[in-house]
Amino acid sequence: MIKTGTYLDLLLMIVMIAATYYYYEKTKDPNWRPFIRHIPALDAISEGVGKSVEEDQPVHFAMGASGGQLYSNLVSMTLTALAFLRHITGLCAEYGARLIVHMPYQTESIPIIEGTAREGFAFAGKPEMYRRDDMRYYGRGALTWTQGVTASYAEEGVGLNLSIGIFYSDCPISLEMAHIMGGMNVGGTGRWIMVYAFAMMCDYVFLGEEIYAAAAQVSEDPAMLSGILIEEVGKFFVYILLIVGTLLAAVGLDVASLLSI
Amino acid sequence: MAIFKREIPTAVLSFVGVVVLLAFFTTLDIFETLNGVFTSWIPVVSAASVGLGLIYMIYAQYMNYQRNKNLNNLIYLVVPLVFFVIFFGTALVVPGNISSDAYQWLYFHIYQNVGGVIYAVMFFTLASSAIRTMRLVTKDPSGALQFRLEAAALMFGGLIYTLRQIPLFQVYLPGIVGFGEWIMLVPNVGGGRAAVIAAALGAIVVGIRTLWGKERTTTEVD
Repeated sequence: MIKTGTYLDLLLMIVMIAATYYYYEKTKDPNWRPFIRHIPALDAISEGVGKSVEEDQPVHFAMGASGGQLYSNLVSMTLTALAFLRHITGLCAEYGARLIVHMPYQTESIPIIEGTAREGFAFAGKPEMYRRDDMRYYGRGALTWTQGVTASYAEEGVGLNLSIGIFYSDCPISLEMAHIMGGMNVGGTGRWIMVYAFAMMCDYVFLGEEIYAAAAQVSEDPAMLSGILIEEVGKFFVYILLIVGTLLAAVGLDVASLLSI
Repeated sequence: MAIFKREIPTAVLSFVGVVVLLAFFTTLDIFETLNGVFTSWIPVVSAASVGLGLIYMIYAQYMNYQRNKNLNNLIYLVVPLVFFVIFFGTALVVPGNISSDAYQWLYFHIYQNVGGVIYAVMFFTLASSAIRTMRLVTKDPSGALQFRLEAAALMFGGLIYTLRQIPLFQVYLPGIVGFGEWIMLVPNVGGGRAAVIAAALGAIVVGIRTLWGKERTTTEVD
């Protein structure tokens, strides 16, 4: 009944679902607050918004030229970026900073992005700060997006550039141009192949999966916070596999075939 | 209305997600069949939402222009529409659709070349940021000089890997080729796989949260 080759995957899935159930039960206790390591880049976002207000420059938010994916296996990063958009709108409303959102080319995600920004300002008690003119759309393709974004930096200035989401070859240009224009770069992506660009070009970086943890922290939603702990359970599962696999390989067993049971 | 905005979409999503998972893990034909049906719906659902998004985007850009009639807003409104009509129209009207000479010309002589520019520009930005990142000694806020271990490791790895590509070093310093390969295949692959595993676990958590109906990021937006 169980497909050959998926036993280990199924075991991981069962472990993750069991951990989810356990921690969701914990969230029912209103006094339960998990300890989560603080991520310095989170403080940098508030600092950057403050810097933007002092310099009378706008805050820029970008989730990538292709950051509005709702049908791919990268959708978790789109959701994470939306959590950050909600957070940055709240901060901009609190500090009184202008927010420019560079939207991805996936038109189907535009209503969600606009709605998130609008509700973020409304929730912070400043619905009038939402300006549709500052929700920018540049058409399809990374080139048009980077041109539009960098032109915006040059014309309107940049105080903080918060870039979180799905990034391809668009991010080196936008991040470096924000730096050249005197902006403070904070950002990260779950696409490990582009993490190098964020590590090189950002003043504060969320390394890979840190974006999920950071999104949970900024959301203050117990379900999202418990997600970090569920992820840790998965990591311990991987550690056990690594240790067992190393020991089995040391005694001469074919670990690769064992992993594909 | 919350039931239409939240409960029904969540229930549909959870049902489809569970069926797809069961089709992946089990050999039961019923789940395989349902998975095939759901998979065939993906292009239909995604195309419909892309179409709706396109209409919404055009309307929003038009309203932007109506509110603020400046050149930028006019360009944002007109240019995407013009190129959309040219590309889409050519694909539909000219016999051969996207295989027609006209469409191929548009693609290879405009879209691809314009797209290629991004890579040319990208290398300049990479070079300027690499110089900054690989600076071994920097000043801290008090003005004192600070040695940066991470920058040293990055510079060392980058230098070895770059030098191994140069024929002069391959001839006079043959050991550098193997060392460069080792950096690429052992620490690089190990670190990369760790990052991929961690990011995948994060994505699984978001997936389970969505199936559980606890993911409110999109369903709570009006």
